[in-house]
Parts: sequence; C-alpha cells; structure tokens
Amino acid sequence: MNFVGLFQSLDASQSTHAKRDALIAFLEQGDAVETALAVSLLTGRKQQRTLKPAQLKQVAGVLYQETPWLFDECYQAVGDLSETLAILCADGLQEANTQDPVLSAWSDLQQQLLQIHPDALPTALYTTLQQLSRDEAFLFLKTASGGFRVGVSRGLVHDALAKVTGMSRDVIDERLMDGLTVSQDWLSDLQRPLSDAEQHARPCPFLLAHPLPDNFESTLSPSDYVVEYKWDGIRAQLIKTDQIIRLWSRGDHDITTQFPEIIEAASSWPGQWTLDGEILIVRDEGLGSFHDLQTRLNRKRVTKPLLASHPARFRAYDLLKLNGVDLREQPLIKRKAHLDTLSVEQSPWHIHHSWLAISQMRAQSRSLGAEGLMLKAQDAAYQGGRKSGVWWKWKLDPMTADLVLIYAQAGHGRRASLHTDYTLAAWSENTLVPVAKAYSGLTDDELKTIDRWIKAHTTDKFGPVRQVEAELVFEIGFEGIARSSRHKSGIALRFPRILRWRTDLTPTDADSLSYFNELLEVAR
Amino acid sequence: MISKNTPSRDPLIQRTDKGLYCPQADVYIDPWRAVPRALITHAHADHARPGSSQYHCASDSTGVIGSRLNTEHIVPHPYGESFQLNDIEITFFPAGHILGSAQIRLHDGEQTWVITGDYKRTPDPSCKAFEPVECDVLITEATFALPIYRWPSMDEIMPRIFRWWDANIRAKRTPVLLCYSLGKAQRVMTEIAARSNRGVRVHGAVATLNTHYEAAGVPLCPWERAADAPKGVSQELVIAPPQVAGSAFLKRFGPTELAMASGWMQVRGVRRRAAINQGFVISDHADWNELLETIYQSNAHTVYATHGETRVLTRFLNETTAIKATRLETAFGINQELDQ
Repeated sequence: MNFVGLFQSLDASQSTHAKRDALIAFLEQGDAVETALAVSLLTGRKQQRTLKPAQLKQVAGVLYQETPWLFDECYQAVGDLSETLAILCADGLQEANTQDPVLSAWSDLQQQLLQIHPDALPTALYTTLQQLSRDEAFLFLKTASGGFRVGVSRGLVHDALAKVTGMSRDVIDERLMDGLTVSQDWLSDLQRPLSDAEQHARPCPFLLAHPLPDNFESTLSPSDYVVEYKWDGIRAQLIKTDQIIRLWSRGDHDITTQFPEIIEAASSWPGQWTLDGEILIVRDEGLGSFHDLQTRLNRKRVTKPLLASHPARFRAYDLLKLNGVDLREQPLIKRKAHLDTLSVEQSPWHIHHSWLAISQMRAQSRSLGAEGLMLKAQDAAYQGGRKSGVWWKWKLDPMTADLVLIYAQAGHGRRASLHTDYTLAAWSENTLVPVAKAYSGLTDDELKTIDRWIKAHTTDKFGPVRQVEAELVFEIGFEGIARSSRHKSGIALRFPRILRWRTDLTPTDADSLSYFNELLEVAR
Repeated sequence: MISKNTPSRDPLIQRTDKGLYCPQADVYIDPWRAVPRALITHAHADHARPGSSQYHCASDSTGVIGSRLNTEHIVPHPYGESFQLNDIEITFFPAGHILGSAQIRLHDGEQTWVITGDYKRTPDPSCKAFEPVECDVLITEATFALPIYRWPSMDEIMPRIFRWWDANIRAKRTPVLLCYSLGKAQRVMTEIAARSNRGVRVHGAVATLNTHYEAAGVPLCPWERAADAPKGVSQELVIAPPQVAGSAFLKRFGPTELAMASGWMQVRGVRRRAAINQGFVISDHADWNELLETIYQSNAHTVYATHGETRVLTRFLNETTAIKATRLETAFGINQELDQ
C-alpha cells in the first residue's frame, strides 16, 4: 500500500478504530521511505511548503484565460484549493495507483517545479496534474502546499506506531518529538534502546490536565491535591544540560530563540534539569495578557524595544529531571521538594483541607492575572499525555457576551459550502461593530438551520463573505480580553466561541462596547 | 451581432406567483400552486405538485405522476407529437432525467420557446435519451453549472459500486446505497441488471416506483421489499432514500455501511459533512459540459437559467457568447439538494 491507498482508507471511515487499523496495515506493509514520509506528513512535522496558495491559484489562468472568476466560483463551492485543482485538472478517468511508493518522487517533483521560472510554473503544474489521477493530484497538492489534514491526530499515528513497534506510546512520543529521519531503517531505529544523552537532551511528553469533573466535591478529597494558579501563558519545558539550554513549547516547537531573556536567566541558574512551567509576560503592574504574549511569538527578530516592552519570564511548577536523574516516577510532592532547592522562579502552591478554601483561592485568581486553578495529585508520577485523575484544571467561568451575527462565510473541509464562520458584533452608539469571529459551539442541526437562514437573508456579498440582516443573536464565551489597536472595536477577545444561539433575544438586547470596556477594567 | 431578430412580440412564458405561465395557451408549466391546466416536465415533487385540475405530461410519466399526485386528470402525450392549446403548438421531447421526463416546446408560428425541466445527456437505460431541440428562447436548469461538475460514465462507476458491495460482504456489513427513490434508484437497478445477475432489497418508497418502471417496460434487476426480507446482515445491496440515514429502518440489517449516489458527491467536503463514508458520483442532472452543449445546440438567442448555479451560468454565457442570458427565480430545486 502507498500513501494514496492509506488516504483512501482513512477518508472512507469515521471510526477511530478503523483508522488505526488502516495506519497499522500501511506501516506494516508499506515501503520504508514511503511510511517515514507519510508519518512526517500525518503528524504535522516537516510540513515544508514548496508551493504557495498564490502559485496554485495561478493555474486558474491556464484553465480559464478569459473567465478567471470561474475558478474562484469553483474554489468557493469546493472549499479547498487543492481539491478544486484536482477536480479541474487531474485525469478523472484514471484509477489511482495505490501500491507503488509516491511520496519520495512527489517531493522530487515539487523541488523541480520550484526550479522552474515563475512564468512557466502554472503551465508546468497544470501538465503535472493532468497526468495524475484525482486522488493523486489532490494529495500531491496537499503535500506541496503544507496544509495537509486528513482526520487523524498525531496521537492516533503514534498509537499505531506503538502497536507496530511494540514500544510504549510514551517512548514513541518522546522519540518523535524532534521529528524522524527518513531512512530505510527508521522503524527499527525507533525501536532502539534509550541512550542516556537522549534521555536528557529532549523535552518529556507534557502531562496534560482535564477539566474538574462536575461531582468533584463528593469524589475528590481536597487535601490530596497541590493547588496552584493556572497561568494564562505558554506551557513550556526549560531544559539545561551540561552543554545546552533549550525552551520547548507543546506541539514540539523549539522556541529557544524567541525568548533570549529566559535563556540568559537560566544560564545563571546552577545544575542540570528539565523544568515544566509557563512563559509569562511580567510587568511592573502585573502579568501581561495572552495577547501581549502573542506579540512575542513567531517573530523573525526579537528586537530590544520589544524585549523592553514585553519582558518574558519562565515560572516553573514542576521538575522532571535533575542532574541526570529522571524524577518523573516520583510523586509530585517530592518533585516539588527538589524544585524548592533550585534557585528558579516558582509558581506558588498550597495544600488546602477544604473545598471552601480552594474556592476562595480560585476567586482571587483573576485579580492575580490567572485564569483559574490547577489541582495536581500530590502522590502522582509525571506521566506524559492526558492521563485522567492526575491534574485537574478548575478554570474561572468564561466571560460571556451577547452579540449579533453580521457576516458569515463558508467553512473549510467538512464544513465547506455550509456557512459556519461567523463575525459577531456589538453596539457602538447605533452601529454594530465586529468584535469576534467564532467558528464552533453549535450543533450540526443548528448550523444547517442557520445556514439556510443566512442564504435567505443575505444583504450583500463580498467574495465568499455574506453580509446578513442583523437579526440573530449568539451568546459567546471567551477566556480573556485585551485592548487592540488592530481591531476596529479596539478590543481583542481570547478563544471566543459560541455558547448558545439566543433565539430568545433580539439584536437590541445585544451588548455594547461599553460592556467590554467594563470587563477590561475588571481584568486589569 | 445577434444573428436572429429578437422577437418584439410578447414572451410566450412569464413568471407569475403560481409558476411559469404561457398566457397565449392559458397553461402553467410545473406550477408551484394549484392551477386549472398544467404542463408537467417530470414527476419529482418540486416540479409536479398536487391540486391542479388537469395535467398534461409525456405518456411515459402517466403511471408515476398519477400515483404521486393521486389524480386521474392526466392527459398523456407521446414524445414528439404536437398538440394545440389555443394558438400554441405544444410538444414534449425526452429530457433523459427520469422515466417520462420531458422538455416542453411551445411554438406560436413565429417564436419557439423550450423549457428543459431537469435533464441529463449521460446515457441512462431507465429512460429515453435526451433529444436536442432548437428554439429561440431556452429555459434551462443550472443545478450543476460549475466546471467542477463533470460526470464519470457508468462504466467507471458501476465496477466501483460492485467492489464496494463485495468489500462489505467480506466485512459482514450490509451495504446501503442512498439515492433518490424516483429515478436514481431505478437507474442504478437497471445498470446492475445490465452487468450482473445480482438482486437488491429496496425501501418501500422505492418499491412503489419500481412497479411503475416495470409496467413501462424498464428492465430492473431482481428486487424485493426490505420489509419482506429476513432480518440481519444482507449480502444484497439495500437501496433506500437518503432520509433513512440514522433512522429505525436501518436497524434490521445489523451493521451497515452507507454510500450515497449523487452529483454532490463530487465534492469531498459535502460527503464528509453528510457523514457518508463512500460517495458515488451519479447524477440525473446535466453537468457543466452537458449544459453548455445543450445551450449551444439549441441555437437559442436568449437563455433563462432557473435553479442551482444560475449566476455562474448566465455570467459565463454573457461574457463568452452572443447569447443573452438571464437568471429566472423559480421554486424548483428547493429542499432537493441531497435528494436528487
């Protein structure tokens, strides 16, 4: 089986079990290089983009010289650029080759296309696609444009790899954190015994928290837990060995170069260790918002003014390795004791004997710039992944607002051709000003009903965006609010999502900008 | 540069609140309200609605329309045989959409108008093949008027259906093909009959229509009502309308695997959203090329596009040809999106 065959099996199923079986069959039977490249693609690593969307769109000029708008119409109906081109250009009669390896050859072909003069690229791309079957053309473009998603999570791929290699899922997670080296022996390489250097140079799989269960008061005992504030920062591991200092965020991103001040501070801290904690922007008046933190991310250059205006700190709450010893099997309370011996900034923690005391601590969290509490079992080891019952998060209730739908746009992928991306607005005097875009939170039935309503109440169209009559009101929830000069409303909401369709409200009942300004005051 | 003179006379068709109307013949075409006299292109519910006093239709449609509308006031007309209503000469021509589907030509001695109804040009052994008809003004459907819609031939699709069917037998699951109960179901059954000795089990809605098709001489594959068959996993393909997805009807078959036969299956996102694992691109409507071919062959100087991608079709014709193309709002195609 090749990558095309794997895609067809994955695409023809919605059951996780069937998808895992398809992955296992592919890993066991597929060509070694093909499987290595496929795993890289499916786990979202090494998504090197060789062809930009703008370059793909130029094929429209080859297809429809006189009526290029026809391509845009097709793209809107399909909702996916690669699929649109595959339908229009590929040989629809040809059956896909689902056996012989394709990925290595595609990668070469993509590199060759890059060498071609930009003026000749559209025709060359078109000619390439014409020789492929539809599924092949679709996947060729998806792998080239770096936006490949096929409804399998990285975790599912790792599960399948664990099954095929006989290794534990944790080891697979850890070994693939840096990506994998494509070779004939990559699978056997994945099964090699662990070396010491390997143990210590890499971040460990993060232990993730679950929301506190509804019935926690009757099922959990408060004094079993270490209680910390839940900081609204970037989760990260800070690693110092005898040679290097590295900062890793979740999702296996090496963000060392983005936070030079943290690396500099860490260089003066003694010992060799792996710390788990949170990156935060800390100012005189307190913690910066997540919005502040975002301005530090994905910068080509971290400038001095930015370092001065948005200084970052690393606040540790767990110690995973110390001077070559893996502490992860030890109970949390012991790891905390070791952490106390280090001269690093720590997140304060408490042990409370009543839920009342814990809830009082929670009530204070917003004023400290935290978004709730973390409850961590005192006696629990640090096991990577989302192990239930070890770490609980007890977040503050989200802030909410009632907003009016003003624009809608069709979604992508599974939601293509259904209007599911909403722009929601609040009142400013007598006009509605957009304050949030929300994509999730409604049931499929609601989405269908609203989609029908949108189509029947469109007042204007701007490309794929429909302006609709100001009539529908939605209650949204969000985790934070910050001032923003980039938004017309002057505010930016964090994680806005739809909580409910408020069919009981009319647009005049919706909130106004002054309400958000009050929230901003409270958040300060 | 229009080669023909645009007639200065009154149009033969107007849009009224009851539907498309020819005042000269005092007759409605596929009206969406009850009227005294109607011409019906075909029996699908968005075109043939109950309550009118008299229905003129192609002879092949008599059985289906009679049973669907529960009426005896039907005046059948063989394809190609003209009749007069007042001073208007009216003729039904095969549209290739479903059994008895027709294009309707109206001629007043000078100008000729054709209403296509729904149509397709892809061969379909369950109904008479589409015949191109010349006219001055063409009123065409535009359901799939985008170049992404190009239908594969049934010679490509049917082997895929058989492979999927067999894979389900091996996996001990009942294969269920969802398709519209009038037209698509019988078309698939005719294609199965032409290529194998296999039999199918059908939903009650399909069974009723099967008897009309067989009465009209269409060679369907062997079939039985699913309700009459033993419970449990079926090795025979089950053919049912899309509404059964998630309903109690499927319970009797044990584990099932759903596929859908529809032109909409051309787009992956549509199939995924419908929570269907397998889609077969089979449409009873004209694809992009068929629409253009039909319009060009008609030699019409004016084209009205009714439902579907009317904006795209009219803009394309206006920009690339001398044809004057306009959108025409109708009640056709409403709530039929995934059904046909």
